[in-house]
Amino acid sequence: MSNERRKSVNKIFGHIRQICAIWQQEVTSMLKDEGMLLILLLIPLAYPVLYSWVYNNEVVHEVPVVIVDKSHSSQSRKFIQMYDASPSVKVCCYANNLKEAQDIVGHQKAYGVLYFPEDFAKRINRMEQATVGVYCDMSLMLAYKNVYQTATTVQGLMGAEIQTKLLGNHTTREDEVATQPLNVEEVPIFNTTGGYGNFILPGVLILILQQTLLLGMGLFIGTTREENGRIIPRNPLYSNSLKVIGGRWMAYILLYTVLATYILLVIPKMFSFVSIIYWKDFLLFILPFLMSCIFFGMTTMSIIRRREDVFLIVVFTSVPLLFIAGVSWPASSIPEFWRWLSYLFPSTFGIKGFIAMNSMGARIEDISPEITALWVQTAVYFLTTVAIYHREMKK
Amino acid sequence: MRRLADIMLRECGKIRKNPIYLLSMVVLPLIVMLFFTSLMSEGQPQDMPVGVVDLDNSSTTRAIVRRLDGMQTSHVVAYYPSASEARKAIQHGEIYAFLYIPQGTTEKLLAARQPTVSFYYSNTSLTAGALLFRDLKTVTTLAGAAVGQATMRAKGFTEKQTMAFLQPITLDTHLVNNPVTSYNLYLSTMLIPAAIMLFIMILTTYTLGTELKEGCGKELMERAGGNAFIATAGKLLPQTLLFIAMMLIHAFYLFGMLGFTHEGGLTWILVLNVLGVLAGQGFGIAIFGLMPSMRMSMSVCSLWGVLSFSMIGAAFPAFAMDAPLEALAWLFPMRHYWLVYSLNIFNGYPLADSWLHIATLLVFALMPLLFINRIKKAFEEYIYVK
Repeated sequence: MSNERRKSVNKIFGHIRQICAIWQQEVTSMLKDEGMLLILLLIPLAYPVLYSWVYNNEVVHEVPVVIVDKSHSSQSRKFIQMYDASPSVKVCCYANNLKEAQDIVGHQKAYGVLYFPEDFAKRINRMEQATVGVYCDMSLMLAYKNVYQTATTVQGLMGAEIQTKLLGNHTTREDEVATQPLNVEEVPIFNTTGGYGNFILPGVLILILQQTLLLGMGLFIGTTREENGRIIPRNPLYSNSLKVIGGRWMAYILLYTVLATYILLVIPKMFSFVSIIYWKDFLLFILPFLMSCIFFGMTTMSIIRRREDVFLIVVFTSVPLLFIAGVSWPASSIPEFWRWLSYLFPSTFGIKGFIAMNSMGARIEDISPEITALWVQTAVYFLTTVAIYHREMKK
Repeated sequence: MRRLADIMLRECGKIRKNPIYLLSMVVLPLIVMLFFTSLMSEGQPQDMPVGVVDLDNSSTTRAIVRRLDGMQTSHVVAYYPSASEARKAIQHGEIYAFLYIPQGTTEKLLAARQPTVSFYYSNTSLTAGALLFRDLKTVTTLAGAAVGQATMRAKGFTEKQTMAFLQPITLDTHLVNNPVTSYNLYLSTMLIPAAIMLFIMILTTYTLGTELKEGCGKELMERAGGNAFIATAGKLLPQTLLFIAMMLIHAFYLFGMLGFTHEGGLTWILVLNVLGVLAGQGFGIAIFGLMPSMRMSMSVCSLWGVLSFSMIGAAFPAFAMDAPLEALAWLFPMRHYWLVYSLNIFNGYPLADSWLHIATLLVFALMPLLFINRIKKAFEEYIYVK
């Protein structure tokens, strides 16, 4: 009995040893290949730093605006003063007319124009509605937002002042109630500063993981095919397709767990981006995400014939993937067809789950639909990988 | 001249044999075009899900909720019994924002005790956050104004007087050339040409690198009579023509079929798209000349190309980045393409405003001349290392 058990234990160890041998072989050939080193080590280390640097200023401040003041009154000057005082915009210069102001915008010295007509003060004094013209350069949305939102804020503030003067109430409290009967509190609940980096970076970081993994795998599989005519080396060691999958899986999962920890946990801390994920949740999340990426890669990258083809097929997908994951474009507005297509990619669920935990403080049980989806992907892509490797083995 | 034609014919044969060429020159760019324009066909995200926590539940608060639901971008999808449950719903990705109306709001409103309602919104999707915030502003301003309007009407003021009192200053807003704030117009015009230029850059290095990989560099140089300029030009001219066609198809699709604003007119569209192709190819050739290894030059072009989407500075502006990065942005051909587009085509400004960027695109297109000797050497001597 014990002899038999020892035999079966030995057998299991034999399998494990073989898998480890394949793993070792894969890592050795990875290290020999400059291209692989570049994509699997240098880029995952350097790219996140570069992106963090690009976005680390977070908010756009002091967008330059031109003033055309035909009114030349204390009221228009007051409006301009209050406008200039906002951190979002700054008055860069004055123009005599709209044509001149347009030229300044054309030279990119300003991104908006405020226009005060001649009767601006007269109308206020006559208790009529006065108008301020706001012209926005629409080629930069964030600049437009600053120019326009600041104008509405100043419009409200100055309007309230005019109202209180007219009312002639006795106390400040009366004034407050009269000008704003309903008080509204605006609470940005997550990403409270409205920072661009905190919004885009979590998605970018997840994509760096998936895309470098795909590129590295494609390059590797392409090379193997060029040399062996199939995606599995012709080597007695590589005799069982399941063991090949196991060995390759080990090579990537170990490397990428380390890289993922660096990219998703260390980088945000280094640049003081929001990072409120629990490390236990992180582990429970990163395992299915990396697994689905690896098997997705093994399945899809097996179509690569020439190693360099992978750049042409993988690189361009990064931006579209960021869009269909619901980062740049709200998920609720994604057309049905693209939504279904997005379910094929691990990044869709990876980005959603990571943002929920990293930026919104969700716990692992809050993102169970995403985690389930990642495990389903892992299972499906594992099966397709087995089918493909089994067929390749016969070549 | 005959040599040039000879090499071009040889290249056409290669393009026909390897499907990756047509895939990345025609099929994938077309998919990218359809992807972005159909994704954002709404122009602006509409009916985004928001929630309500209405602890007061009076006819007044329900009117506010109704008004919010009526807004174009917001759609009230659920009511929650407490703020923390609504917060959970945001974390689950079910809603982007919720309106919190505490108990006693109506009572306080009628007694002129200025109640507070709160609007919680998530900025983890910046587009959704900003648009919903704008909706909320409108709705609550209207709700506040409704109270004042009723009081003043009761006191016998005319409509004009009431409006002048409630809103002493109005804004006459001109969203120049994009009056409906269409994100499709704003983003597709930047993303699609940038994606095509990404393909141009990568495919250029791929095409040149293949010669080294297949070991036909010497044969190529013999055909070109030892002239690296003819060799390179002959190899890339078929692609130049095809890519120019693709860029023009993209322009026709965006400006002609989808009717996007193009103040600058047809000449600018033609000039810029031809320049864009030449600059992209020039950049690719220069990188190949700099490091004549297929893998390295392709990697560099890929990385540079992907980074371009950020460095263009259309979403997060370049002037808001750190100074060194703002300077570095000059090295990205896509940024100059976009600047010329937004200055000359979108806004219709004259050449005087953009000549520096046009000149830079030309510099990119001419950059290969600096490296022509290195390319010659590469074709004649280098061998492909894995």
